[in-house]
Parts: sequence; structure tokens; C-alpha cells
Amino acid sequence: MITEYFRPLTLEEALALASRPDAVIIAGGTSVNADAGRSGANAVDLQALGLEGVESRNGTIRIGAMTLLQDLVESDLVPDVLRNLARREAPSTIRNAATIGGTIGAMDPESELLAGLLAYGAIVTLATADSMTDHSLNDILSDPGLIGRGIMTAVTAPSTGFAAADRTGRTPMDRPIVMAVAHVSAEGASPGSVRLAMTGVAPLPVIVDSERIGDLDPPSDFRGSSEYRRRLASVLAARVLTTVGGGEQA
Amino acid sequence: MKITLTINGVERSLSCKPHESLRTVLRRAGYFSVRYGSDTGETGAAAVLVDGRLISADVMLAAQADGHDVKTIEGLSTVGRLHPIQEAFIETGAIQSGYSTPATILAAKALIDRNPDPTEEEVRDALSGILDRETGYLRPVHAVMRAAAVMRGDEPDDIGIAYLDPLEDGERPDTDPAQISEIAPRVVPSSDVPETRVVGHATPKVDAIKLVKGNPAFTDDIDLAGILVAKVLYSPHAHARIVSIDDSKARALPGVHAVLHHGNVTRVRYASGGQSYPNPLPYDQVSFDDKVRYVGDRVAAVAADTEEIALAALDLIDVTYDVLPAVFDENEAIAEGAPVIHDESDMEGAHDPSRNIVHHLKADTGDIEDGFAAADRIFEQTHRVHQVQQTPIEPHIAISKWDSDERLVITSSTQVPFHVRRMVAPLLGLPVKRIRIIKPRIGGGFGVKQEMLIEDIVGHLTIATGRPVRLELTREEEFVSSRTRHPQTITFKSGVDAEGRLTAQEMRITANTGAYGTHGLTVQLVSGLRGLSSYNSPVKRFDCKVAYTNIPVPGAYRGYGAPQALFALESHMEDIADALSMDPIEFRRLNWTKVGDPLDIAQKLGEGDQDASVMPIVTSSGLEEAVLQGQRAIGWERRNNPEWVQPEDRPNIRRGLGFAMAMHGTAIPGLDMGGASLKINDDGSFNLLVGATDLGTGSDTVLAQIAAEVVGVSTNDVIVYASDTDMTPFDTGAYASSTTYISGMAVKHAAEDVRAQIVARAAEILGVDAESIDLHSGAAWASDESTVTLETIALSTLHQAGQHQIMATASYVSPESPPPYAAQFAEVEVDIETGQVTVIQLVMAVDCGVPINPITSAGQVEGGMVQALGYGHCEEMAYDEEGRMVNARFGPYKIYRSDEMPRLEAILVQTMEPSGPFGAKAIAEIPKDGVAPAMRNAIANATGVRIANIPFTPERVWRALQEA
Repeated sequence: MITEYFRPLTLEEALALASRPDAVIIAGGTSVNADAGRSGANAVDLQALGLEGVESRNGTIRIGAMTLLQDLVESDLVPDVLRNLARREAPSTIRNAATIGGTIGAMDPESELLAGLLAYGAIVTLATADSMTDHSLNDILSDPGLIGRGIMTAVTAPSTGFAAADRTGRTPMDRPIVMAVAHVSAEGASPGSVRLAMTGVAPLPVIVDSERIGDLDPPSDFRGSSEYRRRLASVLAARVLTTVGGGEQA
Repeated sequence: MKITLTINGVERSLSCKPHESLRTVLRRAGYFSVRYGSDTGETGAAAVLVDGRLISADVMLAAQADGHDVKTIEGLSTVGRLHPIQEAFIETGAIQSGYSTPATILAAKALIDRNPDPTEEEVRDALSGILDRETGYLRPVHAVMRAAAVMRGDEPDDIGIAYLDPLEDGERPDTDPAQISEIAPRVVPSSDVPETRVVGHATPKVDAIKLVKGNPAFTDDIDLAGILVAKVLYSPHAHARIVSIDDSKARALPGVHAVLHHGNVTRVRYASGGQSYPNPLPYDQVSFDDKVRYVGDRVAAVAADTEEIALAALDLIDVTYDVLPAVFDENEAIAEGAPVIHDESDMEGAHDPSRNIVHHLKADTGDIEDGFAAADRIFEQTHRVHQVQQTPIEPHIAISKWDSDERLVITSSTQVPFHVRRMVAPLLGLPVKRIRIIKPRIGGGFGVKQEMLIEDIVGHLTIATGRPVRLELTREEEFVSSRTRHPQTITFKSGVDAEGRLTAQEMRITANTGAYGTHGLTVQLVSGLRGLSSYNSPVKRFDCKVAYTNIPVPGAYRGYGAPQALFALESHMEDIADALSMDPIEFRRLNWTKVGDPLDIAQKLGEGDQDASVMPIVTSSGLEEAVLQGQRAIGWERRNNPEWVQPEDRPNIRRGLGFAMAMHGTAIPGLDMGGASLKINDDGSFNLLVGATDLGTGSDTVLAQIAAEVVGVSTNDVIVYASDTDMTPFDTGAYASSTTYISGMAVKHAAEDVRAQIVARAAEILGVDAESIDLHSGAAWASDESTVTLETIALSTLHQAGQHQIMATASYVSPESPPPYAAQFAEVEVDIETGQVTVIQLVMAVDCGVPINPITSAGQVEGGMVQALGYGHCEEMAYDEEGRMVNARFGPYKIYRSDEMPRLEAILVQTMEPSGPFGAKAIAEIPKDGVAPAMRNAIANATGVRIANIPFTPERVWRALQEA
């Protein structure tokens, strides 16, 4: 249970607080506060650090880690596919508090936005006490320990290229059982330029090699068996790859 | 810590703990409109505006809001004045229980402030975080659009009642339904319905103002000094004996005032279902037992100064369990060698507890084999329906206290206050006269609150501590420890002759009543009643075994056994028609019950004390008209067009339309009873006291309309006070689609008595014959146009001459249960590569007799269809192998939200039911009955695949497609 609340005014102060033994970072707080069993007695709220905002430069967007999901939805600078995935990430009451940095930190196994960012090859800027380093989102999701006591400050991704997403769920806005998103760089679909990411086929959103979908070993739950999810992966991958291959922005 | 918030424009300094949510702190500061729906943000009942943005206050720390601007609905209006959004919500009928209405209105305000001219899609997105279990979202969405128009200065659309031309007489209608506003209630009038002044009109809800303003009105809004917080320890095992409980550490914790369990609470047998005396058997529960029978069963309860202390105390209760084998499936439970769930010696009234058979119900109307022998073809099919939860956004909550006369007062969100008083008394060791139950506003019930569920716990704790005690279930507790819908395995066997007429119909059920019997008898009786009353058959047979298992307990859920039965029946009838190469509606039409037909199985399956020698007969039916209206509304002819079914430009999509007929009951004949009392005040207004419990359905409004119609006033002059066992007449409660029909008739009778008294005095004052007097517009009118106001009459009778209180009390019980009928249509798209089903449109045309209030009636149908859609499409309680529910929160337990809804259309087909008040029959439950089979039949139309189980989740449909 949270016993102390801090709202640092500088990144240095925040990093110092985050390095304390039972610190818990609050970005929007919608995941942390919903988790009754959470650990961490010292809440470090990043709202006063000025980490929000979206910029676009030379075909790249830079999204401050504290940018609200709602602001992504409404930003003209953000590619449509990512805007739509931000909208699908949470309903209105949550999108106005939840942030992109918090979404990465929470690592929801079924996050469509994380899959989208993976497909776009997103880079996460991580501040630690002595450095500011860039990691690919894929590296962070593959090794969550990378975040350590650091604080995410921004996410960058290309704002160009083509992308498409598709999914299967119980209802139109449900968290999908399996979702696929593909991005191809503006230069077009040459081998290796297409990145495919999925939810529902591994414990976390992952980049998937379209040639090796049959090797996936998705976790089963009451919404979808492993076998069924593998089948969906194959169908949905084919659909999104066809769409981006055709150069459509879906 | 101290925080400073600007709340509704006023800077306030508040104390809070670092872990406390903004919801907790706002409620403590008196902002009761910020409501509990969940701890995890997903219901949105606690949504407020922070710096103008809509945020779920249950997942924001109060500390995070420090220094920010917070708006709640309390800041939107002042006494006597409403905001245009609030007015629009009232005018459009967007409010049912009103529990989440404040949050919804704030969502609208945030949207309109940023975007004065939002599209419907933008409105639906803005409301997407506020789950609504009641309205189906149609009216709230249109309320927001209307409010935006008003605020822009535009003229809003007129919301009149849209009268549709009847189609049954075969004439071409003039009205084009496509041109009518989506929220204008559609009524197909019947010429034999007399004209009325209040009844039949879309009167605003009588409780609208307090709900739209978020005034304190719900149980949770009661603030008592020194109140203790109760928490319950639930079983982690599906089946176990409690070997020992050591509560010493919990009792020693400072701030803990009581710890109750089987070792210190008297063992009194009961059945928890909120039903009439004597409660149906079995009596298989006690407040606290030494055995647990499902994950979520009660073990112990504590009362403590704070929630934190109460939770800490639960952790300190040391329970040793002897874990026993468990069984979850109803068919396995009654098989040889299954674990015996009720092996206690003192349980009463189960059929064969050693085989987990609670009831074995049998009924027939003759020798079924004769009927099968007369058939040309015989069809037999088995279907399985699963377990879902009612999920009112307001969970169960009860508060108890001793009053100054040392009587126990329990305020509870219950559908059955009078049953609760009688049922809780023996458990607490108090006489009925020392207990008072008050039902305030309720944030939805849908049957889950037709139960004496937690009132005994708060009562025991108040008796043990002498202090007021409050118990509110969390969302997870509501899922696992309250009540659910009965799963069933249902087999229909039907004989059909060469013309397609039924010669015999047999229904066999194995039903799952979970750990306790509660509604296990009566839900299954209704399954039989509905399954075998819809169609005529010379001979019928019902055989049903009700099984104990170790799942969380099924109970009452809107529809009450009918949704299960009608899924199986309407799938079966569809498939028979297909096998006979008959049109699916023609085949049903040949067989469905019509006016004058006997409901013979009802004689054998009656629950009430009805006269079994009298054969119930169908006295009104608008089914034929309903089918025609529904067919037109959904574009039924498209189903036979291959180019529509298989669109050329979307190769993986198949489209389909499906139909199901539905027939329900109206109250339990010979059993359901409602009382009402009406008295006049000095100004010619009236107090209407009713025992009926408005769950948000609008029944208080409907009852006020009935009274107002009779005594000639508007509903503004009828002040309704409902359901307080000390103050109002008895009522069995809100269940079995009874309130309008039963309580409404009680109100009508009381009002007619009052009317006679008014007319008598008016005749004296005017010097005319009483027979010549008419009451309307708040006055008595003689045939010569001379008039005297009700105010003058009230003042005369109360103060001036022959003084007496004009008042009357009446009660009503009906020997009949006239069935409402409905035609349900569904349009779906199926992705044949993935199995994903998308529901495009739902249309229900329903004959509810004369709708007393078309706007609330339409709201019942829209909201009911959406609950039924969840049943058929996406809701399910899922368990791990040990019987632990794995999806006990919204999201994983999926209910529809505003931005993913199919199009909804409700059509009210009038018939004049001779036994109902002003011709009314029921409407509350029938919307639950037809969606799942209509979807199933639409999937069959689209793909040819006929699926036997619900819900139609993608993998289930995909597997069926693979097997085809």
C-alpha cells in the first residue's frame, strides 16, 4: 500500500526518488491504482516533469512519455493506425489519465498500442541516474529489467510508411484474442522492411516473423485455445501484410 | 496528507491518506454523485472532470489531483434549475436507475465543451468509459446529441410518440419508420384502447430530478456517525470442510469490533431466494456453516472501524480446511460417485441430496408416447446454456443500525424488502416487528437483488457490536459471491405431422443450481412453463433434474429460466422448419399459441395457489402484428438473397438474419401481491405509498401515472414513496414482471376509491349528481361545466366540513398471468476465417398490452435486448480447474459498451389486455428471451452452421465452421 506520495519537479529529483527501495512510478496511475495487490510504498508521480507533448521532425514523431492516450488519439502528427490503436487501448475515462509511458511500463499482455509501437519500431528513451539511453521497445519488452530504476522520458517512431491492423475479438471494442499490425517503411515493401507485431500469441505483445507463425506457441485461456490463436495469427497476419503490401494505409 | 482541490469552483483543503483514491476522498467530502462501481476504473460510475477531462476517480489517487480543478455533477446545477444536458437526459428517457447518470452527464459536458457539434460516433466514444447495464446506450447517446443542439441554439427534434400503421390488415402503411427519430418510442396502436390523459403518454420519470442531479439517494449515500465497515472472508476452495477457525488474532487487532463465523452464530436453516411465504424448499443455507461449497462461499465476517482494519482482520483469521473433491458440471454432479455437496443432517427439502439432486420436476399433459406415435417425423436436439452474472453497476450494499426504539433498521439495495424482513428475522433471533427494511433508490438489480443476500450479515454485526454497520460488495465479490444465471443442459424432442403441426413436445433439463437451492425450483419451473407454453401441442412432457454443484450460486436473473428455455426451443423450432423445408416463421405460426388457446402446461407447473381446475387461456396476443413489424424493420427479405448473404467485395464475410419468437408471463398468478395507499393533501396533491420496488425501471413513474389518470391530475401532483416496511403497504417485490400489472392494479383500485370520495364531496359542493362528475386537470367537472378544484375539495374535507382524510388502501393479486409476446430479429456478420460474429442490428417488436409509459417501455426493451445480447454473444463466467472464477472483472467479463453497439429498435405493439390496468401486460423480462436464439438462427442463415451452445464467441463459431 502506498504510504508516501511524491511529486518531483525535476527529472533528477524523480530519478533519486525512483531509486529508493520500494518506489512505484505513477504516470497516469490507471494501472497502478487498479492493482490492489501492488507493491511499492512510495509513489513517485511524474506529472510535474513536463514530459508530455508530441513533436514531428524529419519523418519521426517524438512522443513525451507522459503524453495522455487521449492526446495521441487527437494528434494530427500521429499516424492514423497508431491513433486508432491508442483509442482502442482504453475507454474515454481511462484515456484521459493513462499515458504512453505508463502503457509501456504496465506491459499489458494484450495491449494493441504496444503491438502497434513494436511494428513501428518504436524507440524508448530511458533516463537513469547517470545517462540517457535509447532502447528499442522490443528490447524493453523482451527484457523488462532494462527499465530498472530508470524513468522513460519519450517514445520515438517513424511517422511515415504504411501500416495496417486487424484483430479478432468477442465484440468490436473488446481486447482482441489475437491482433496483428504490420508496418512497412515509406520506401516500400522490400524484404526486411515489413515489421509484423501481434498480441495474443505470446505472454507479451511481440514481433513475429511472418514465415514462422506456425512455430508460435500462444498461451490458452477461456477466450481462445493455443491452436485457435495460432490459426488467427496466420489469418490476421496474411490480411495485414496484404494490406500494407498494397500500400494502403488501413 | 493535505491536498488542495478546486471542487466545482471552490477551493477546498482536504485530508487524505496517500493511497486513497479521488473517489474515496470526494465521497467523504460529501460529493455523493461520485459512485462505486468497481475499484479498477472500468465501470466509470466514479468518473469526474479533472481539469475538464473525464477521469475514473477510482483509479486516480486523491494526491494526484492535488492542485487541480475537479468538477462533479453537484457543480452543474443549482436548486430548482437544471443544466441543458440534465434536461435532455430527462426528456429522452436516458435515465433508468440513474446510478451512473452523473458520470454520463459529465462525459457529455466534457465532450460538448470541446466539441459543440459532436457526431454520434464521437458521442459514443466519449461515453465509452461508462458502462451502462440498463439503457442499451441509445437514449443517453441521443440525449447528448440533443443537449449539444440545444446548447448551440439549434431547435432539437421533437420526441413525440411515433405511431406506426398496423400491417396485419394488409393495407399499405403511410408512415415510413426510417424517417422517425431513433428515440421516438414506436407504438402500433390498437383501436380498442380507450383514450387516456396520463396513461399511454411519455411522462418524465418522477424520480428524474434527484437522479439527474446526483443527489444522495442510494444506500451508499447514507452517512452515519460511528458506522463500522464489514468485510467477509470467502472460501478459497470449491468444496471443503472447515476443521477449525482461530479468530483470536483478528479479535485482538485494535479497531476490530466483531468477528463472526459458524462457531459463534446460531445455526438457523433458510433459503435465501426472496420469495413468498413459505419459501420454496430446500432450506440448505445457514448464515455461517462449517462447510464451504464454492469459491466465494462465506466463511466469516468482521466489523471494524475502517476498511483497512477490516481487511487486515480477515488476513488474521486462521482457517484450517479439509479440502474435498469438487464437481462443477450438472451432469457429472448427478452421476454415480460424484462428491456429495450437501451431506449435513439438518438440511430440509432436497429431493435426493446423496446424489446432488435438489429437485426432480415432472409434468405432462397426457401420454407423450401417443403424441410421438402420431408424428410423421420426430426431432431431438440438445443445447447447453452457460453461466452469466447480472452485474448491476451498483453492487449489493446494506447498512444496519439500531434506532432509538432499539429496532433494527436495515437500508438495503434490494428488490424484495418485505421478504427480506420476514426472512432475516429468524436468522437474527428478532421478531418481524423489531425489524424495518428501507429500500432507497437502487442502481439496478435484474434479479440478483431478489435475494436475502447480505442483510443477515450486517444485522448479525449490528447486534454483536451495537453499532451501525455497512457492507458493500466489491465488483469481484459481486461476481463470485452473489447470484448468477442457472446453466442448463436442455433437450427438446418434438413430433411433427405431415402438415408441420406438433403432435408432441418433450423438454428434458438438467439444471445447475450451484452450491445452494435458492431459486433452483422456481427458475426451472419457469423454464418448463416457457419452453412448453409457446407452441400448441396435443401432448407435452417436462422432466427436469436440478443439480447441486460447486459453482457460485445461480439465482434470479431477469428472464428467470425463460432465456435458457427459449434459446433451446427457438433453435429447435428453426431447425425443424429447415428439415421440413418450411419457412421458419410459417412453421412457427402454424404452431404458436393464439388468442383463445389453452396454456395447459401452466396448470401443471404453477407455483402460486392458482385454481388448477381453471385452464389458463391466452386473452390477448399481438404476435402476428409484431412479426410483421419486425420483418419490415429489419428487412427480412434480404435473408433469401445470396448476393446479400455473401457480399462480393468482402470474401470472408457472410451475412444473416435470424428470428425468434418469445412469450413470457406477467406476474405469478395467485401469488404475487402488491399493496398501495393514496391520500390527498391540502393543495390537491397526493401521496402514493407503494411497497413496489423501482429498480430503475421507472415503475414508480408508471404507478404515479396510473394514480394520476384515475384522480385527474398530472404526475407532478403525485408524490411517490416506495418501499419501506414501516411506512408502505406490503408488496412481494420487483420480480416476475409483476409491478405494472399487480402493483399497478392495486394503485388503480386505491385511486378509484379515492376518486369516489373526491367525487362525493365535489357533488356536494357543486350541487350535482356524483355520476355526472369527471375528474381531470386537477379539478372536478360537472356536465354543466361547473367546476371545483381538488385543492378546494381537499381543504373542505380536511378542515371545513364533515372532516375526513380522503384516502384509500388497496391490494391486488391476479388469478391470471397474461403472456406478453414478442418477435425478435437479429442481423449478424460472420467472419468465416476467424469465427468472429458482429451483431449489426437487433429489432424487437413486443406486445406488452398497453404500454403505460411508451418511453420507459422502449427503454426496457432496448436495455433488455443488450443484456440478452451479452448472454448470447460475449458474457461468460470462466473458471480454472479448482473452480476459481478467472474473469471476475469487467473487460475479461465482457459487457457491451457504448462505442460498439449494434443498431437497436424497439416497437411496441398495443393490445388491450382485459385483466391488466388500462390494458397493460408485462415488458420487463421478455426482452431477455429472444436475442440469443435469433443470433444463432442468423448465424445459421449466414453460414449454414447450427450451434448448440452459447455464447457465440469466435473460437466456438470457428470450430463449428471447421466441423461443417
